[in-house]
Amino acid sequence: MNPHIFRVVVRSQISTGRLLALAGLSGVAILLAFVARVADDPVEVATLSMGTFGTNIFAPFIALALGSAALGNLVEDRTLVYVWLRPVPRYSVATAAFAAVISVVGPIVVAVMTVAAAITGVGDLLVATAVATALAVFAYSGIFLALGLRFKRSLLVGLGYIAIWELLLSRLGDWFARLSVRSYPMSILSDATGVEMRLADRSTLTSYVVPLAVGVAGLIYTSWRLSRTEID
Amino acid sequence: MSTQASPPPMVQAANVSKWFGDLVAVSDVSFSIGAGVTALLGPNGAGKSTLLRMMCGLARPSNGTVTVLGKNPRADVAVLGRIGMAPQQESLLDYLSGREFVELAAQLHQVANPVEAARRAIQTVELDPDDTRRLSTYSKGMRQRIKLAQAVVHDPLVIALDEPLTGLDPRQRREMIQLFHRLGDEGKCVIVSSHVLDEVERFGSRVLVIAQGRLAAEGDFRDIRNLMDDRPLRISIRTDRPRVLATALLESGAISGCRLEGTDCVVVDTTEPAAFRRAVAPMARDRDASLLELRPLDDDLESVFRYLVGQ
Repeated sequence: MNPHIFRVVVRSQISTGRLLALAGLSGVAILLAFVARVADDPVEVATLSMGTFGTNIFAPFIALALGSAALGNLVEDRTLVYVWLRPVPRYSVATAAFAAVISVVGPIVVAVMTVAAAITGVGDLLVATAVATALAVFAYSGIFLALGLRFKRSLLVGLGYIAIWELLLSRLGDWFARLSVRSYPMSILSDATGVEMRLADRSTLTSYVVPLAVGVAGLIYTSWRLSRTEID
Repeated sequence: MSTQASPPPMVQAANVSKWFGDLVAVSDVSFSIGAGVTALLGPNGAGKSTLLRMMCGLARPSNGTVTVLGKNPRADVAVLGRIGMAPQQESLLDYLSGREFVELAAQLHQVANPVEAARRAIQTVELDPDDTRRLSTYSKGMRQRIKLAQAVVHDPLVIALDEPLTGLDPRQRREMIQLFHRLGDEGKCVIVSSHVLDEVERFGSRVLVIAQGRLAAEGDFRDIRNLMDDRPLRISIRTDRPRVLATALLESGAISGCRLEGTDCVVVDTTEPAAFRRAVAPMARDRDASLLELRPLDDDLESVFRYLVGQ
């Protein structure tokens, strides 16, 4: 990983709009946690809240906003040349960008969701939420980093992916669900509290391995794409 | 007998073509470039930037090969360490300051002391290395110069500059041209693209003329300039006595044809522009005709290059 590219990508990710989106979604997470805390069945409501909001909305949308921009913005504003035209291996550029996304998205999403889990008062959820959101961030960051390099309007493509694939098609059957990232972190939450959730019926091992594999696959594709792409 | 061998070319293109779908941007171009300043001259859209991008490995030739220092810049990442490029686009990493931008280039090139190298490069292009303002606040001229700074910060052997004088004032242009010559004299291969004839003349060097994706001419600028000066010209003359002046010019042989337009204009064709230029003013004076305007109708670069392609 190249530390100089890492720093540049981290700096490029900080914008007022993204900070506002982060603050807004964090506020929703905390609000949902308080609602769960006072619910009749706090365990069920808390698990559903952490699952539906944390791994289905918060993690993918923040990973999309920052992941697709990490290299995507450089492509769109034609400044990738200033990174590409250096004697730096392409996998090193991709790894630096991936690490930059993870290091910005990860701590924020995981910290906010873990605090939210603590607020619900459901002890079993605390570690599970931290692990599930961390895995979701890892997988989605890999996907959206790659999308950012592959598509010109990567934000729209990413929104389409979340809405159509993750939230809609994944409900059509078990095979579709297996190809949906969110079903794996949700299964971790379901395992921790015993609350059944739709799609959350993956085995413990695959719940951990698949999101990691998806993130790594995104990284490998990004490296490959960087070495093949023509720079404007 | 002297057996002095010519130095090996630093950049070589062999039968290079590049197309984007149906659009042919570069067509079967071959050339070799050694140390010194070489100008890549051609109108907008001629294929200059595409050629420069292929030289720097940013684009892959659809056909043929491009080598820089004997290596394929597309496949060999290490050779990129010997190349510096200032692309044409104005966009920069706007959230960085100028110094950070140039330092980043030095760091990625693993320059021993990136801070000092960046300072030197920024001073070379006459910017202030202590300026902490973000690049987003830079003027067009400053952006051009900081692009040059990042291109030379690692002391590359091959320097590709795409329209580097755009947006600079005359003094800055002079300074930059001197810098190009200095780099060329140091044994570096400096390739500068431009669509401005007079600009290239001041590079005073070897020229590759690119038109419609083809190599239209190649060699010393003076030879090409002469070729351009010899081409037929169509000129509009505004005068109070168009018929009298046109007759005189025809009789003298300075023009090959003419057409009256309105009451005060005659459009003439000449195959000897230099002779025409010498003759027109004395003839007008001798015939009491006032010359109100002389305007070449096909002196734009496009027509110059069309002519060269036809040669």
